[in-house]
Amino acid sequence: MASRHNLSTVVSFEFWRTVKKPSFWIATLSFPLLFAAVIGIVFYSSKSSSDTSDQLAKEKFSIVYQDESDVVLPQVAENLRAKSVANKEAAIEDVRSGDIDAFFYYPKNLSKESVEIYGKDDGLFNNGKYSAVAEQMLKISASATIDNPELIAVTQGTISTESTTYKENGEVSAGWFAAIPPLLFLVLFYLTIAMLGNNLLNSTVEEKENRVTEMILTTLNPTVLIVGKLLATFMAGIVQAVVMLSPAVAAYFLLGAESINLPNADILSQLTFDPTAMIIGALLMIGGMMLFTGTLIAVGAIMPTAKEAGQYFGLAILVMFVPFYIIMLILSDPSAPVVQAFTFFPYTAPVTALLRNAFGSLSVLDAAIVISTLIILGTIVIMLSVRLFRYGAMEYSGRLSLKTLRLKRK
Amino acid sequence: MIKSAQPVISIDQFSMKFGDKTVIDNLSFEVKEGETFGFLGSNGSGKTTTMRALLGIYQPTLGTLHINGKEFTPEDGKMLGYLPEERGLYKKESVIDVMTYFGQLKGLGKQEAREWSMKYLERVQLADKAKSKVDKLSGGQQQKVQLGVTIMNDPKVLILDEPTKGFDPVNRRLLMDIIEQQRAKGATIMLITHDMSEVERLCDRLILLKDGNKAAYGTVPEVLAQFKKKNMDDVFLHVYGEDAVLQGGEE
Repeated sequence: MASRHNLSTVVSFEFWRTVKKPSFWIATLSFPLLFAAVIGIVFYSSKSSSDTSDQLAKEKFSIVYQDESDVVLPQVAENLRAKSVANKEAAIEDVRSGDIDAFFYYPKNLSKESVEIYGKDDGLFNNGKYSAVAEQMLKISASATIDNPELIAVTQGTISTESTTYKENGEVSAGWFAAIPPLLFLVLFYLTIAMLGNNLLNSTVEEKENRVTEMILTTLNPTVLIVGKLLATFMAGIVQAVVMLSPAVAAYFLLGAESINLPNADILSQLTFDPTAMIIGALLMIGGMMLFTGTLIAVGAIMPTAKEAGQYFGLAILVMFVPFYIIMLILSDPSAPVVQAFTFFPYTAPVTALLRNAFGSLSVLDAAIVISTLIILGTIVIMLSVRLFRYGAMEYSGRLSLKTLRLKRK
Repeated sequence: MIKSAQPVISIDQFSMKFGDKTVIDNLSFEVKEGETFGFLGSNGSGKTTTMRALLGIYQPTLGTLHINGKEFTPEDGKMLGYLPEERGLYKKESVIDVMTYFGQLKGLGKQEAREWSMKYLERVQLADKAKSKVDKLSGGQQQKVQLGVTIMNDPKVLILDEPTKGFDPVNRRLLMDIIEQQRAKGATIMLITHDMSEVERLCDRLILLKDGNKAAYGTVPEVLAQFKKKNMDDVFLHVYGEDAVLQGGEE
């Protein structure tokens, strides 16, 4: 009962002191502000592009062209108000002098030579209209000579494909739609450690830096303190996640899914949730979090200052990124020795195994071994970190040595 | 004000080694209920180590260390007021939040802890600093807050490790008032100090450590008589010798 009271006291104290820090809100708000800025830019630029396309369609600029390929149909050129000329050099000179806005030169062999486009400079973004119109002249002309709508679709690249692949047991493979849901656990794992790890590390070092360790250790079980700090850190993480996701949710409802490239409901309905992969993903994530958070607390307990501890946080993040250097190998050849080593080495296991689980190359047996390793080792590391905290926190001015730990054990 | 002969603190055949170095060797003593007990010794004599072992922070190499008949656990912290030698507060938090937090950990309700803290801050003329961050307070003001945190649960056992270390005269006076107040309430007080005048004025009994062993143990008059000295400063110098006092040491 007393432990529960103390735990809730620690969680409340640690949570509120975290969310009251300006640095917490700077870090939390910088992401959605950046996101909102990007969305704003995307929205503005897509609107501008749309406006520009409409404008271009309506815009009248003088065009001349020389067609040695004989692909461009005169009536198509006429519709675009383009006039044929015979002298390439004179046309280029007319563009240079500003007498005409654009000149397109279609060479004899379009498959081997480039279409040459000359235009009056109208700014970096607007200059694209010349090539757009030049290509349009070709495409419309080519399509006009084909009498078959299917062939027109083929030439214009507007056909769609639908693939069905089968697993070894004859079942239909869901492909990316099956890989995406378990990959969410990888994203959650990354975000949690990357965003909250440093908070946790600083929070652990703080007792030592503030010289409050002895007062704390005589009123509070260190396990309660560490668990309280962990819970408070995760609660602060939930606040961060809500704040960070709110602009995306707001944009989704106010501007629509397309505005932020979110998948629409049809695509979401195609996602396949394989229960085995989801359970394995969740357990791998939990095991990975236990190991990494335990390790960060242990580092915080050993180091005398947050500054020194921070260097080791960078190392933890680096270890998390290492499997991505061999991601192609993980996806294409999961049995490769290096992939196997990364799968079973505890600190690279969470990311490697989560990737393999998502792409269906992690057997249930391998998953069981990795999950057991992570959870057992994670538990040991958390227990060790409590012990290290207890004694490391007494080493106010230096790192805790193994010798000191051995002598002060209880 | 000694209530009874019942020991509140009992240390029996306690030894502590760090590697090959013996810091405490077969130490035994008792502190009785309601007693103000002086725990004396030069730097490095093992006083703080003994306190940390008594409070369960260190594992003793040998022996038993009991408070109220059993080994101390953090759950017993509700009856303890401990002012450690290495002390501090959460510097980036407000005074009232820190005091309330420690009050809650010592078993008070949140509101109760806040109200007690405000009354205490008024008493020590820091009420206007209640919402200030601890690191905005002067060193002396932080000491006052630290003292408040130590006694806010009205402890039955008060362990003060070099309480006057770094204290200005005003806070030293405040500390003495607090010790007197707690004594009057019947608290058992263990005072680890180098200030021999404090020992003579406050302590019912004392123990003097040298090289991890008991060099003197008894009431102040008994110890003075044992060494045939007029004051505790002379006893201290006699036990350690002037060279050792000059050299000092690190614990």
